[in-house]
Amino acid sequence: MLDILIRNGRIVDGTGIPAYHGDLGIEGGRLRQVGGHLNVDARHMVDAGGHVVAPGFIDPHTHFDAQLLWDGQARPALEHGVTTVVHGNCSLSLAPLKAAHRPRLVRMFQQIEEMPDAAFDGAFEWTWEAFDAYVDALRGRLSLNVAPLAGHSPLRMWVMGEEAQGRAATPDETRAMQQLLRECLEAGAIGLSTSYVDFDENMRPVPSRYAHAEELDALCSVLGDFGRMLQVVPEFYSTDITIARIDQLAELSLAHGIPTTFSPLFDSVTMPANVSRVLDRVAEQFARGARVWPQVQTRPIDISFSFEVASLFFVTQPMWYMILRLPREQRLAAFRDAATRKSLIDAVEAGGSSPWGELRVRDSADASLIGRTLGDIAEERGGSPAAVMIDLSVEEDFGVHFLSASMGHDDPSRVGPTLANDLVHVGASDAGAHIQSFATYGDTGYLFDRFVRDGRYLSLEHAVRKITSETAQIWGIPDRGLLKPGAAADVVVFDPETIGRGAELPVTDMPENGMRYVRDASGIDAVIVNGEVAWSAADGYTEATSGNVVLP
Amino acid sequence: MTLSRQRGFVTPEPNEDWRAIAARVLPAEPTDAAIEKLRSWNLHLLARNPPGEFTGSDVLFVEPPLEGTGGALPGLDGVPGDD
Repeated sequence: MLDILIRNGRIVDGTGIPAYHGDLGIEGGRLRQVGGHLNVDARHMVDAGGHVVAPGFIDPHTHFDAQLLWDGQARPALEHGVTTVVHGNCSLSLAPLKAAHRPRLVRMFQQIEEMPDAAFDGAFEWTWEAFDAYVDALRGRLSLNVAPLAGHSPLRMWVMGEEAQGRAATPDETRAMQQLLRECLEAGAIGLSTSYVDFDENMRPVPSRYAHAEELDALCSVLGDFGRMLQVVPEFYSTDITIARIDQLAELSLAHGIPTTFSPLFDSVTMPANVSRVLDRVAEQFARGARVWPQVQTRPIDISFSFEVASLFFVTQPMWYMILRLPREQRLAAFRDAATRKSLIDAVEAGGSSPWGELRVRDSADASLIGRTLGDIAEERGGSPAAVMIDLSVEEDFGVHFLSASMGHDDPSRVGPTLANDLVHVGASDAGAHIQSFATYGDTGYLFDRFVRDGRYLSLEHAVRKITSETAQIWGIPDRGLLKPGAAADVVVFDPETIGRGAELPVTDMPENGMRYVRDASGIDAVIVNGEVAWSAADGYTEATSGNVVLP
Repeated sequence: MTLSRQRGFVTPEPNEDWRAIAARVLPAEPTDAAIEKLRSWNLHLLARNPPGEFTGSDVLFVEPPLEGTGGALPGLDGVPGDD
């Protein structure tokens, strides 16, 4: 008897071959039969009703490091069909991490990934220092699979302490980091992450940025012993620097036989040749035998924000950013103060024009304001868009939310062909991060909605392959990403005519009622992880904890 | 496979400052003039706080943007979309 029998499916098996109709049988957490008509009993029957049956989606760029410790379902990623996530990106991971370094690393997470205090403070018990103990802490609570990276920054902190953010490592320290990384990889780390752009809450570069080329080369030699991934965040705001990073990654890839990936790569009207120049260089390096995978996200860059938190939106406005980081009462007082208010407005609108006129009110107690631009409201009320933003926020006790939409990467005729490119790794969702600036969930649904159904830039089978078997192959994740007998039974059933992402919604489902933005899924029927139904449209989340740490 | 020409760069050696890098990559130039050239080609480092401070992993260009590449972008750390 099978555990699960999925009948009447349109099987898209992850290889890219044309879809075909058939059944799918699951037993003992594995796919037993794929295709054909199965006339056998099963404990659980799923009628796919002609909908697509595909491998579970794999998200290669997330920051669920902390959330997984209180939410093993990584909500709402799972209901979007994601069955495996890579976390620990961008040089930041929660292991290996000495107890004494926890506050420092938490502050970096808060600064870089916009995670609230409540995400770390009392939301889980710190039971580990070493990587293997962190992996043990994850096991048993997971409803989806995880592939954790070891972060370069905590690795440096472990070996160098405070000096990790200030100088080059000595040869002895480099050897100690190599040994520590080796232990992480032996415990199941899927690779190493590093960053060239991030900074801490004091605007100091994170520890990984103090590493000289020799240090990273030494660490990559350890990755080479295991054939594991190096992930980096390059200076994506400059094409020339990104190309320099590609060349560095290519040399590391060739020297040590490792795959490398960088994220993000954006299309932008301010850098119109960025993607083409970067992809040309990537192609040249692949032709040499290097593996340098650019990660490209599917969704446009939208930022939502309120004055409740210091949003990423304000990071290029130092005065605003500084005030938004004050305690709530001081923040409110600052925005109410006439002199401060004027200085803030002048900082944005010097010269008389405002860059914020097209921003919209996305949520307000005054329904008549919702959807209107700040420029429009400013005309009606008098004042300027920045003044309106402040006044509305103060009037509603910071309850009003704003939306800066389509800040880039929003032209489907440019993004679509990029996503379809064979050398592009579809990813970079950032799920679990920036939770108070935008919803990082639903990128997979958006891929099918906008680039398969609407724009036809990718076929259904191509799109499935991009986020399943290709991802597994790039990262060396064994046994997943394909529907074939014997493979792990990670399966998603969805309606290709309706799969998509819902509206962005502010919710308060973080620890201590902390706020974040999420998107619900549409068109997903069921999500199966290692042979157990983890979510279904009919019943929602189940109690299955069949997820596991993926061992490369 | 021949790689197309891209903008030349170096990364700092341990303990190198602008002066040392200038001497390494532009040895024929007077040091102060070489430093000024390097700084003008690396505006992304001058936008930092403190200005001009670089770390061991930074890229330092040793020539101006190549013609036809759209020029250098004096970007800032931490622009929206930053990871």
